[in-house]
Amino acid sequence: MTKSSTLVVNEAAANADTRFVAPDLVALDAKGAPRLIGGRCRKCNAVSFPRAAVCANCLSEDIETIELAHEGTLYSYSIVHQAPKGWTVPYALGYVDLPDNVRVLAHLDAPADKITVNMPMRLSVGVVGADPAGAPLLSYTFTPV
Amino acid sequence: MREVCVIGTGLIPFGKYPDKTLAEIGWPAVKEAIVESGVPPKSIDAVYCGSALGGMLSGQRVMKSLGLTGMSIINVENACSSSSSALAEAWTAVGSGRHDVVLVVGVEKLTKFGGGTLPLENEDWEVTQGMVMPALYAMRARRYMHEYGLTARQLGEVSVKAHEHGALNPNAQIRKRVSIDEVMASRPVADPFTLWHCCPTGDGAAALVIASADVARKQKADPVRVTASEVTSGLYTNGYRDMTWAELTARGAKEAYEMAGVGPQDIDVAEIHDAFTIAELMYYEAFGFCERGHAYELLSSGATSLGGDICVNPSGGLLSRGHPVGATGAAQAVEIVRQLEGRAGAHQVEGARVGLAHATGGGIAGLDHGACSIHIFAR
Ligand SMILES: [Zn+2]
Repeated sequence: MTKSSTLVVNEAAANADTRFVAPDLVALDAKGAPRLIGGRCRKCNAVSFPRAAVCANCLSEDIETIELAHEGTLYSYSIVHQAPKGWTVPYALGYVDLPDNVRVLAHLDAPADKITVNMPMRLSVGVVGADPAGAPLLSYTFTPV
Repeated sequence: MREVCVIGTGLIPFGKYPDKTLAEIGWPAVKEAIVESGVPPKSIDAVYCGSALGGMLSGQRVMKSLGLTGMSIINVENACSSSSSALAEAWTAVGSGRHDVVLVVGVEKLTKFGGGTLPLENEDWEVTQGMVMPALYAMRARRYMHEYGLTARQLGEVSVKAHEHGALNPNAQIRKRVSIDEVMASRPVADPFTLWHCCPTGDGAAALVIASADVARKQKADPVRVTASEVTSGLYTNGYRDMTWAELTARGAKEAYEMAGVGPQDIDVAEIHDAFTIAELMYYEAFGFCERGHAYELLSSGATSLGGDICVNPSGGLLSRGHPVGATGAAQAVEIVRQLEGRAGAHQVEGARVGLAHATGGGIAGLDHGACSIHIFAR
């Protein structure tokens, strides 16, 4: 789990009670709220997600870890009915546009018939699948505002 | 660059060959191409083999079956563009004067993975969040429908057209017509796609013998020339992207048209990468066959069907001929060459003189697609 001055990570919650499918993308703050972990280049200000080790804009490696915005707009989506083992189908998948030119792919936590293009969405957490042993796997999700 | 021609083509019927090895799938296409070319097998200076998932030394495994080894064999992986990228390498090798006769083969065996969606790279962060290829294209479709008022049923007509063509092609994996009602009633894969909106997975192989014009004219009076050959990659961004516009293909098309000295109005026949229904419509626009937002009008006018002004995917395309990933680009090239030579049979485009082949794909976070390769052929 990444630590920085701008992101407070609840290590106990992140390591013990929750099992994120990609723990480098998301952390829980002190109150247990999800936060997307991005990067901001200290040289050119380009924002990356996932947090880049090297800036794709200027090649600087001086990247600050930042917390991305919690709200955005749904660019597009699909209800996925056929997926590899481990995913609970059907699931709604969408691209959410956050401020600072960041587009995030996420499971959407909403009934299929309530999802529309351009709707405002808010960051959330949900069970998205199961590991080979059947234990639930969590990830960040987005929920209609 | 000197002039480059195609003097031999080979293709096996696409389908499911779970009991054959990759080499067994590949060698018949190679043999057919060499026999058709008329050149002695030992005159092949180099081999470029495209395979996305065939594993190490795919080209050597195929070529040793025919006892043809010792020359330079280069294996090319570029996802759906693997064998079209191999063709581009072959074009460069002959065009530059380095080699006179080069073999290109595309070979793939997808039945080894069982059914369902193809395995994607788990290091890709979008894959860790549940990305699958149908969902990527489905999100393009959903946004396109939102912006241009296209309906799922209209989108389904792409599949109806593809299978009209494929039913006439003995090498197609799915040789069956399908009605729009059947398309819409099939099981959902990734909304708005049902099963018939998606290309089938399977196995296949295709091969071409490429030669300098000097060598080619000793074999054939009027050989098909490769007038443009290009490969491009997607532009990376982790930010916003217009998913209704195939930027990578449009950029490649512009380059290819310039290289060949032609424009969209000159194309008689095209094999384009219709992995999913929306892809064909978006590529009409990227190739300039119509204005943005007008692809469905072009489809419904019949212009892109057999008998139309610009026949797209007379083979049935990926939707009907099938899409054994790394073999697709070579199969498209074989189809176009045979069309220009007037020997495509029941799905012949009458009088075709200029054709293009377009293979693009590779799901990768932050890129439109991994790769895109476009070739233009003329006779
Ligand atoms: Zn930078």
